[in-house]
Amino acid sequence: MGKSSKHFLSLVLLVAFGWSLTSLFHQDNLLHRGGMDALVSLGSAFLQPDLSRDILDIALVATLRTFSYAITSISLSLLVAFPLALLASGHVTSQPLVRTATRRLLGAMRGIHELIWAWFFVAAIGLSPFAAILALAIPYTGSLGRIWADQLEDIPRGPLLAAETSGGSKWQVIFFAVVPQGIGNMVSYGFYRLECALRSSAILSFVGLGGLGHEIHLSLSDLRFNEAATFLYALIFIVVLVDRWSAYTRRGMVH
Amino acid sequence: MKTSTLSVEQVSHQFAGKNVLSSLSFSISEGEQVAIIGPSGAGKTTLLNILAGILEPSQGQVSLGQIPLSHLRDTKARAKQIGVIRQQFDLVKELPVYQNVLMGKMNDWHLARSLWSMISKTDKQLAGQTLEAVGLRDLLGQTTGSLSGGEQQRVAIARLILQDPKVILADEPIASLDPRWTKEVMDTLTGEARSRFKTLIAILHSTQVATTYFDRIIGLKDGHVQFDKKSCDLKDSDLQALYAQGPQEVDHG
Repeated sequence: MGKSSKHFLSLVLLVAFGWSLTSLFHQDNLLHRGGMDALVSLGSAFLQPDLSRDILDIALVATLRTFSYAITSISLSLLVAFPLALLASGHVTSQPLVRTATRRLLGAMRGIHELIWAWFFVAAIGLSPFAAILALAIPYTGSLGRIWADQLEDIPRGPLLAAETSGGSKWQVIFFAVVPQGIGNMVSYGFYRLECALRSSAILSFVGLGGLGHEIHLSLSDLRFNEAATFLYALIFIVVLVDRWSAYTRRGMVH
Repeated sequence: MKTSTLSVEQVSHQFAGKNVLSSLSFSISEGEQVAIIGPSGAGKTTLLNILAGILEPSQGQVSLGQIPLSHLRDTKARAKQIGVIRQQFDLVKELPVYQNVLMGKMNDWHLARSLWSMISKTDKQLAGQTLEAVGLRDLLGQTTGSLSGGEQQRVAIARLILQDPKVILADEPIASLDPRWTKEVMDTLTGEARSRFKTLIAILHSTQVATTYFDRIIGLKDGHVQFDKKSCDLKDSDLQALYAQGPQEVDHG
């Protein structure tokens, strides 16, 4: 692509961006009195969350349910994504067909959003924890497998060659040179996906699968904003908890 | 012919239609220490990769004793004959030092045995004894990436000691090192090879290091053997002819 073509394309993108912003601000119903009131009510509810015993009990059960959906589904994803990532990275076999087929499979798994998977599984097996777990596990396996495969593909090749010239079999090379070099980034991304799984797990409960999202939905429907704030704080709490857990684990791996 | 004499017979190699090595022939006796020197692009690393069995020559053959290297397809069988140490150390920096050293036993161990070594105290002691030979026993449990370049190269030598091959190939083993580590690493490498009666073939940039540590020097230029002499017989004119376009670090190191 020539320099002038690049400049032209940049200009087109800039104009499209500006136009999209203009169209946003020209909408008459963007700001209205009712919305502002609701925002103010929500804001003040955040300053005074409902800390009554009943609500805290509900929040605790919903938090545990959201957390357990996320942990179970991410555990399932880790187990399935690891061998798929090894295959997709080309370290197990140099056959391009295997690598390409595995990458296509991972692409198909993450190509459909967890919410769509949830509707599908609720229709197939009804409102059950399995529906939530499978709906999260499938696209998350696709994402984990793809990113891990890339991370394993990008590791330095020298130690692999050294392990091979030391007499290492394919699996010895994988366990002692490939995985140790990739594991730091893989753990880091795994924790990031766990954070995403917590948020998605809350969203899934909006479709009736129970958990924090379901409670937030009920509270907002009844305009009980103080209760909704309590549940939102519970969600933020577990996301922060996982973030700290991730940082602690990575620190342990480095030192 | 001694059982482990390394013979290079009429070896040529081409890359993209260009001759990188042309009809090289020489032999190296068991226990001999030989340096290969030459300007950049002389074909030194290609030759080393062929000697390591990583690269198949376009023509000719390399044999160890009576066995052509091309017959050593199995990595474990090849690793018992030939070990390689490189400029970049090629250690797994995330693993503790002793695990890198124990990778030298991969030619004897299957996967389950290697995994067992991660928790075996006996294997850790074995790594410790090997590290003692290179003066690094105290660093046994440290993360390899936290070591200096010189220390990492000595860990790579410890891995080779445990691998126990008949021939050691060293590709620019001191090129990435601070000058203060050069002597230490070369002393360890040549000393260990001599005491264990291993054949050592090293590719070096520094002619001074080559003549100090090696009895025999092979000068490679444009894929040909320019000279193959005892280091005591080497003259300045040999080096000037080898580096005709201007000597490369003739006396650094």
